[in-house]
Amino acid sequence: MNAEPVSIAAASTATPGLAIDGLAVAYGGQRVIENLSLTIEQGCFFTLLGPSGCGKTTLLRTIAGFIQAAEGRLLFGGSDVTRLPPHRRNIGMVFQDYALFPDKTVFDNVAYGLRARRVDEATIRRKVAQSLDHVGLGHLAARHPAALSGGQRQRVALARALVIEPQLLLMDEPLSNLDAKLRVQVREVITELQREAGITTIFVTHDQDEALAMSDRIGVMNRGRLEQVGPPSAIYREPATGYVADFVGAANLVKVTLPAAAAIGPVMVPLPGGVVTARAPATVPAGHALLVARPEEISLTRDGEGLTGTVRRRQYLGGRTTYKVELPEGLTLAVDLHGDRHDAFQPGDLVRLGFDPLRTLVLAS
Amino acid sequence: MMARAGSVWFWLSAAMLVVLAVFLVYPLFNIVTGSFGTGSRSGWSVLLAEPRYLQAVTNTVMLGIAVTATTVVIAVPLAYVAARYDFPGKSVVAILPLITLVIPEVISAQTWLMMLGNNGVFTRYLADHGIDLPSFYGWPGLIIALTFSYYTYVYIGTVAAIRGFDSQLEEAAQSLGTSPVASRLRVMLPVIMPAVLASALLVFTLVVGNFATATILGGRVPLLSVLTYQAAVAESGADPVMQSTLASVSIGLVMLVLFVQRWIVSRGRHEVVQGRGAKAARMRGLSGLGIGVAAGIIVVISLLPLATLVAGAFTRARGPVMRWGDWTTANLERLFNNAPEPLFNSLVYAGTATVVSIAFSTLVSYLIVKKRNLLTPALDYITALPLALSGTAIGIGLVMSFNAGWLPLTGTAGIIVLAYIVRRLPFGIRNASSTLYNVPNSIEEASISLGVPPVSSFLRVVLPLMAPAIAAAAVLTWTTTVAELSASIIVYSGGRETLPIQIYKLIDSGLMAQASAYGLVLIVVILLPIIVATRVFRIDLFSSRA
Repeated sequence: MNAEPVSIAAASTATPGLAIDGLAVAYGGQRVIENLSLTIEQGCFFTLLGPSGCGKTTLLRTIAGFIQAAEGRLLFGGSDVTRLPPHRRNIGMVFQDYALFPDKTVFDNVAYGLRARRVDEATIRRKVAQSLDHVGLGHLAARHPAALSGGQRQRVALARALVIEPQLLLMDEPLSNLDAKLRVQVREVITELQREAGITTIFVTHDQDEALAMSDRIGVMNRGRLEQVGPPSAIYREPATGYVADFVGAANLVKVTLPAAAAIGPVMVPLPGGVVTARAPATVPAGHALLVARPEEISLTRDGEGLTGTVRRRQYLGGRTTYKVELPEGLTLAVDLHGDRHDAFQPGDLVRLGFDPLRTLVLAS
Repeated sequence: MMARAGSVWFWLSAAMLVVLAVFLVYPLFNIVTGSFGTGSRSGWSVLLAEPRYLQAVTNTVMLGIAVTATTVVIAVPLAYVAARYDFPGKSVVAILPLITLVIPEVISAQTWLMMLGNNGVFTRYLADHGIDLPSFYGWPGLIIALTFSYYTYVYIGTVAAIRGFDSQLEEAAQSLGTSPVASRLRVMLPVIMPAVLASALLVFTLVVGNFATATILGGRVPLLSVLTYQAAVAESGADPVMQSTLASVSIGLVMLVLFVQRWIVSRGRHEVVQGRGAKAARMRGLSGLGIGVAAGIIVVISLLPLATLVAGAFTRARGPVMRWGDWTTANLERLFNNAPEPLFNSLVYAGTATVVSIAFSTLVSYLIVKKRNLLTPALDYITALPLALSGTAIGIGLVMSFNAGWLPLTGTAGIIVLAYIVRRLPFGIRNASSTLYNVPNSIEEASISLGVPPVSSFLRVVLPLMAPAIAAAAVLTWTTTVAELSASIIVYSGGRETLPIQIYKLIDSGLMAQASAYGLVLIVVILLPIIVATRVFRIDLFSSRA
C-alpha cells in the first residue's frame, strides 16, 4: 500500500514527477554514481541511454529503492521517498526477463499488485480484464506464463505494472529479449499505453533507436554521470560531447586544433586539405577540439566547393549509399548519401566534400 | 540482492548464527578441547603411545584407500557403459542410484553377514559341500560390503560428467587424426577426471566416518570409528578423553580430504565444457549381451541384501539359528505385538527432524543465496561443517555439550532429533540453495515493486517456486534420517531405540530373523515416501542432488 498518497492537485505540472537531488550510490565500497541531479516532469517518458556498465540500471534500481542511496534525495511527485523501502514507493516495474510469477496465471499475475493493496475482488476482476484488453491479451487470462510468447509475456508484465496505477513506471531494458520485429511492435504498445495513462516513466536501454523513437527526453549516461539531458532531436543534432555524438547515431569525430578560442557561433576549423566552417554551440578554448560531422550531413560533388578527397570504399544499402572518403594525412570520413543517384560515385573517384556550417559542430575535447 | 546491515534479513542471519553456534560450533569446540584432557593426561600423547590407536588410524586410511579404489574400478566402467551404450537390461542399471538410498548400511552389513558370515547361508552351503570359505570378518567383509554400499556415489558423479561432456570434442580429436579409443583417453578422460576424483574422495570420507559396517563386519581389525564409539559408550572402559581425541582425528582426516576435493572441483570447473552429449550407441549381439550380463551381475549383487533381508524376515529361527526354507510370519507378528516402540520412535524422531531441518535449511539457504550480508559467508561455512563430522563425532559432541548444565538434553528425544538435524544440515542447505539459484531475483523484486513487503514477497512468490524441490528434499531427508545409526546410537537412552538401533542390538545378539523383520519395516518406512513422491506427485528426487 502506498504510504504517501498523492492528491491529483499535487501531481500538477508544477511538481516534477521525479526529482533527483545530489544522488550518490556506492556499490561494494565504491562510488558508482556521484552527485547526480535530474528533474523529470509529470507524465514524461524519460529514457536513460548508455552502454552496459554505465550505471543506468543502478540508477533505475536506486529510484526503485532496491539500492539504497548513499547521499542525496529522491522525490516522487514532490514527496520524499529516499528512506522508503521499495514496496512502499508505489512504483510499477517492468523487468528485462519479464519476471512473471511462473506458478500464477496471467490473471493472477496482473491481479497481484491489486491484491497487495487489498482492492475488493470485484474491482480487481474489472481492472485486470480492462488492462489485459488494453494490451490485447484479454483472451489469455487463464494461461500460465510458460504458455505465452516473449512478446505476450512482456505485455503481461506491462499490464501488471500499469494496473496498480503507479506513481512512476520503471522499465529496465524491457525489449532486449525480443527479436527485432517484435521489439518495434512492443515499442509502440508501450508508448501508446504510457501516453494514455500519463504516468511518468523511466526507461532504461542501450539501444539508441529505441531511445530516439520512444522518448520525450533522453539522458545519456557515461560512467555514472549524465553526459547530456534533452529531447531526442537535441541529443542527436546538438550532442554536448563527443561521447554523446558517437553513442547516439553515427558521427565522424575528428581531432582538430583551434588557433584561438571560439565563441558561440561560426568557427573556421582547419582540417587536412582545407578549412571548413562549423558551429560552436558553446565556447571552445584554443587548442585541441573535436569536430563532429554526421555522415548524412556531408555532401559529395565531383567539382563543387569544399575539401578534396578520394572515394576508397562504398556500400550500397538500397535507400542510401555509404562511402569512405580519404582525405590527406590519412584522415578517412564516412559519408551517407540519400536521394537521387546516391550511388553515383565509385572507388577511386576524386570528390569534393561539403560541410553544412550549421550542422557541423565544434566541441571542446 | 544485498541486504543492508540492520535489516530484517541481517538480524535473521544473526539469529541463525547463534543457533548454529550453540548446536554445532560449541559441540565441535568441546570435542577438540576435550582431546587435550584434564591435568597431565593428554589424549594426543596416549594416541601416540598406544599402538592399538595408531593401528586403527592406519587401518582406517588403508580401508578408505582400498574401498575408494574398488568403487572407482566398478563404477567408472559401469557409468561409461550406461551413459554411452544401449544394451539389453539397461533400464535395470538406471535404478542403481535408488539402491543406496533404500538400503541402510546397518542392513547391508547385516545381510552380508547372513550370507557369508560364520553362520551364513552360503558359508554353510559351501561347507556342506566341502568348501571352506575364509572368514568374512575383517578386511574381506569390510571391503566387499562397503564397496557395494558406496560405489553408486562414484557412479552417479561419473554418469553426470560423461553426459555433460561435449562429444564434439571427441569428434574434433578424431578429425585431427587420433583413433576413437585414443581420443577418448586423451580428450574425455581429463575432462571427466575431476568429477570422478571428487566422488571418489567423497567415498573415502564416507568410509572414514562409517560405523555400522565397521563394527558389524570389522572383526579383529581395529578401526577409528569403532574405537571412538567404544571410548564413548562402553559400559566399562569408557574414556572421555580418548573419545574426543579419536573423534578429532577423524574430523581432521575428513577435513583434509574435503579440502583436496574442493581444490579438485574448483580446478576442474574451468574444464567443464557445456555441450552436446553423445547419443547412446546401441550394442547388439555378443558384446551387447556381455555388457548387459556384466552390468546385471553388479546390479544383482547390489540387490542381494534386499532379497536376503526379505527372506530372513519370513524365516523361522530358533535363537541365532536360521531355519532356511521354513517360512513364517512370526517374526513380524512378534515385532508388531510385542515391541513396536522402535517403529514409533523412528517415525516421530525422523518426522520431527525432517520438518525442522527443511524449514531451517530453506531459511538459511535463502539468506545465503538471496540476502547476502556481512554474516552470510559465516553461515555458508558453518553449515558445511557437518560434512567433516562423522555421525559418531556429532553424537559425542552433542553428549559432551548437552549432558548437563544450562541445556540438559541427554536422555530426551530432543538430542536424537538434534543429531539427525545436524547430520543432515549440509545436504539440506545444498538442495535448497541450488533451487534458489534458479529463481531469478527479479521475480521477488517484481513482487516488492507491486507493493508486497519483502518477507511476504518471499512467502508468496519464492516459496511456491521452491515447493517441488522442498518436497524432494523432505523425502531425501526422511530416508536418510530414518536410517541414521552412528550418531543416534551414541545419544539415545533406554526406551528411545529407533529402528536402526534396534536392528543393531539384535545383530549384536545374533538374532538375525528378528533383525530382518525390523529391517523390512525400516525399508518399507523408507520406500513409502519415495514411491508416493515419485509416483503420485511425480517429483524428481535427483534433480538437485548432483
